[in-house]
Amino acid sequence: MSRVLAAPGPRRAGLALALWLAALALGLALIARAPFSADLSAFLPSDPDAEQRLLIQQIEGGVAARMLLIGIDGGDAAARADASRRLAAGLRASGLFEQVQNGERGGRAADDAGPAAAVAAGGGEQDAGRWLFEHRYQLSPSVTPERFGAAGLREAIDETLGLLGTPAGNAFKPLLDRDPTGETLRIAEGLIPAQAPRSEQGVWMARRAPRALLLATVRAPGADLDAQARAIARVRAEFAPLAAPGLALRLSGAPLFAVDSRAAIEAEVKQLAAVGALVMGGLLLLAFASLRAVAVAALPVVTGIVCGVAGVALAFPSVHGLTLAFGSTLIGEAVDYAIYYLIQARGAAAAGPAAAGEGWRAWLAHSWPTVRLGLLTSVAGFAALSFSGFPGLAQLGVFSIAGLAGAAATTRYLLPALVPDGAAGQGLRRHMARLAGAALHALPRLRTPLLVAGALALPALALQWQHLWRAGLGSLSPVPRAAQALDAELRAELGAGDARTLVLASGADREAALQAAEAAAPRLDALVEQGVLAGYETPARVLPSLATQRARQASLPDAATLSAALAEATAGGPLPAARLAPFVDALQAARRQAPLERAALDATPLAPLVDALLLQRPEGGYTALLALQPAGEEVDAARVRAALQGLPGGHRLQVIDIKQQLDALYARYLHEASVQALLGALAVVALLAAWLRSAPRLLAVCQPLALAVLLTLGGLALAGVALGILHLVGLLLVVAVGSNYALFFDQVQQRSLAAGGADDDTLASLLLANLTTVASFGLLALSPIPALSAIGRVVAPGALLALLLAAAFARRRAG
Amino acid sequence: MISGTRTPARREFLLRQAPALALLAAARPARAFALPELMTLLAARRSGEARFTEERFVQGLDAPLHSSGTLSFTAPDRLVRRTLSPRPESMVAEGNTLTLTRGGRSRSFALDAAPEMVALVEAIRGTLTGNAASLARHFRTRLSGDAERWLLELQPLDALLARQLRSVQIGGRRDEVRSVETLLAGGDRTTMAIEPVRAAPPAASAPP
Repeated sequence: MSRVLAAPGPRRAGLALALWLAALALGLALIARAPFSADLSAFLPSDPDAEQRLLIQQIEGGVAARMLLIGIDGGDAAARADASRRLAAGLRASGLFEQVQNGERGGRAADDAGPAAAVAAGGGEQDAGRWLFEHRYQLSPSVTPERFGAAGLREAIDETLGLLGTPAGNAFKPLLDRDPTGETLRIAEGLIPAQAPRSEQGVWMARRAPRALLLATVRAPGADLDAQARAIARVRAEFAPLAAPGLALRLSGAPLFAVDSRAAIEAEVKQLAAVGALVMGGLLLLAFASLRAVAVAALPVVTGIVCGVAGVALAFPSVHGLTLAFGSTLIGEAVDYAIYYLIQARGAAAAGPAAAGEGWRAWLAHSWPTVRLGLLTSVAGFAALSFSGFPGLAQLGVFSIAGLAGAAATTRYLLPALVPDGAAGQGLRRHMARLAGAALHALPRLRTPLLVAGALALPALALQWQHLWRAGLGSLSPVPRAAQALDAELRAELGAGDARTLVLASGADREAALQAAEAAAPRLDALVEQGVLAGYETPARVLPSLATQRARQASLPDAATLSAALAEATAGGPLPAARLAPFVDALQAARRQAPLERAALDATPLAPLVDALLLQRPEGGYTALLALQPAGEEVDAARVRAALQGLPGGHRLQVIDIKQQLDALYARYLHEASVQALLGALAVVALLAAWLRSAPRLLAVCQPLALAVLLTLGGLALAGVALGILHLVGLLLVVAVGSNYALFFDQVQQRSLAAGGADDDTLASLLLANLTTVASFGLLALSPIPALSAIGRVVAPGALLALLLAAAFARRRAG
Repeated sequence: MISGTRTPARREFLLRQAPALALLAAARPARAFALPELMTLLAARRSGEARFTEERFVQGLDAPLHSSGTLSFTAPDRLVRRTLSPRPESMVAEGNTLTLTRGGRSRSFALDAAPEMVALVEAIRGTLTGNAASLARHFRTRLSGDAERWLLELQPLDALLARQLRSVQIGGRRDEVRSVETLLAGGDRTTMAIEPVRAAPPAASAPP
């Protein structure tokens, strides 16, 4: 094949051009069909274990992914309360939200449903209160056979009466005749959150700032960013007319972060591409003083990017925005190939024995093997990454392999056809070559200090190795610090701080999961009693298992028995039995009520509450989530675990700490990426060994690479940078890019041995290639997106070091 | 209610009890007794214990509801109401946390999330601690009487709460709260009589 394509003449050129155009068209077609994403998915593992899968399901589709936190700042309390009511009403009417909570309690009309209305899912919904009231004998945990005997009734009625005559009990008074045992109160008690926002003027207000608070849950799935963006726009639009009286809107929450991140990444991709192209073009223009050369140099770059994106589109369900942003740095690497070709083919044509139009042959013979080897080492390095269980990294791996291969192939096959003798212009290259030559001469003197620095860095790094890699999953978050601070503030005020500790009650079906959750309830109640927990949420409070509902219904006596017990219980008391006929009727009706299934909740605002806590597992079965609220700073998970041992019915529940899980997830990524990076580095060394077949040459090539990595790490450590997974990827890139430099010095060395002269053009091309790489990664280092700046901050200095070290450690002539 | 440990205030208190000073006070009956004065008086007290008996008049019930128990308070913000009869119950307010124990179950929640509870707790706690700012945040206040026999009337500022609670009237003598009467919007009424528990003879702070 290489013989056919290498054949000279217009036929070869035409064929190369045709093939290139076809490949480009195919790539563009693939890209056009590919969906692009900018959500969190790139940071979540693709092969999680069961617990992680649940966690991911929660992160991607859980309520948290759809919950907007809203603050209304400024004005006086009355103005804020009024704005809160209007905004909530507007949002509820929009239909875009599953639930809008602002602390309002159904208003005057809710008197009938009383305190239960106040409680329904944190307030606001009158019909939730009514629903709870209507189903009180199925839902109240107090319903037992003893409850409706004479003694039980007396006790329960006394307790209810104890609340009357107080402001808190006043709202319940209208329900007394129908619910003298206070079952509605008992249900409400379980649903009152331990951490609720302050209530002022009937709506939620912040404690530490003049701010009204709202919570809005978007109806559309969290992954549907367009829908989330529409919901956010709706909030802003509904608020706009309210802003006049000096009020300001504060928005936060996962949907906003996701939408903003997507926009930020999109803007970043465009900006990086534009600035990168400008800087690169400028550098090339300086080097070649020829627009044509610049245009030709752009071909491998464009082809590389198209191949990279198309490769990712083929291998993954969607192309992540960060991959694209990262792709802009490929400009810096891919342009190297063009630079090597344009300068070296020219040099060969000018100086060598080859005739005009034959420069490419000389390049092919002398330089291409080195470029090819450099390409192979890069591919080896990235191949390891492609198998990462972390889709974000795997995409970077595939992108880089396809991109570099595309750029190299373009350089190898298309460029000889277009510019057989390289670039004509000279520009400032002579100066660059002179500079590089002088550096090559001077740098080896620095060998000893550099080796000493490396030797010092090694133990220093080894000693604080664990501390060095301390950046967590949060370091990947593209959310600006100020936005994170506002989010934390709103969350703390709303009591919507992510429940950090969850108990998972799983079963083959809904009923089994609910029964498991119910089995845990008495143990958790005991922990609340002991002050270990402030409280906990469970779906069984609103949707008890059928078994429990049946047991409760069976506890309800018939009318005659009840009336007799009631007469005895109320004798001599302040509440005459004669008033309680509605209670007897309600209890008889409750005996005939159909059991509650999940569908019964559909028409009520309680459905989201249950859906958030009762999940269908992707692998089948159901899990009830019991979110624990800590009494102090955090939940003593070990104590909860111990309390849940040996549950009746043999239920086995898991206790998971979400932060711990996420940290473990990240630690797993980091470990996996370390192994992959190490394997990649080994593959690079193995390739070099196989190619060079000489221990001294291999050493000369590897030494600067190892030192470059060591010194880059040392510099980052000195700068106090918390290293994370992307810094590791950056180091791999330093090895991949740096190996090219080292190989060229090896090549220069070999040729100098033969020809007896330094190769100015190779030196100039190396310097230029290095400048473009450092420039493109330098731009990345300035990015406001942490994932990108982390890579840039490693590769830009690392690549420069790799070049200098390669020059310093190049073997001396006839050494 | 509420006598007990008075730390630096004790000497001052005893001095005030002195007949000469009482005469002096009686000699100026026309002087109005103002809220800041009452607050200063009350704020000097750091803790106290009392017994209460309560009667609730609830419309629709055949008889008033009786209950009794103890009240205790410790500055700056802890208030405990322990009902002993007819059933043991307790309400502990500390800072912004309210813990209710009824029927053998305890529940803690944020006090300011429930305006009805704020009114109940803050009326008494704010008065006992002499916290004028807290009272002013939640109530319209009106003070009548003099230091020997004062009556503080509190009406909720929050419009929604005012639909449930008409007023709380707190009566007292010098730095002792002696009665709390609560009037609800529907006409229900609660009266609480408070009898300070005299602390054991103060040993440490006894004057020479």
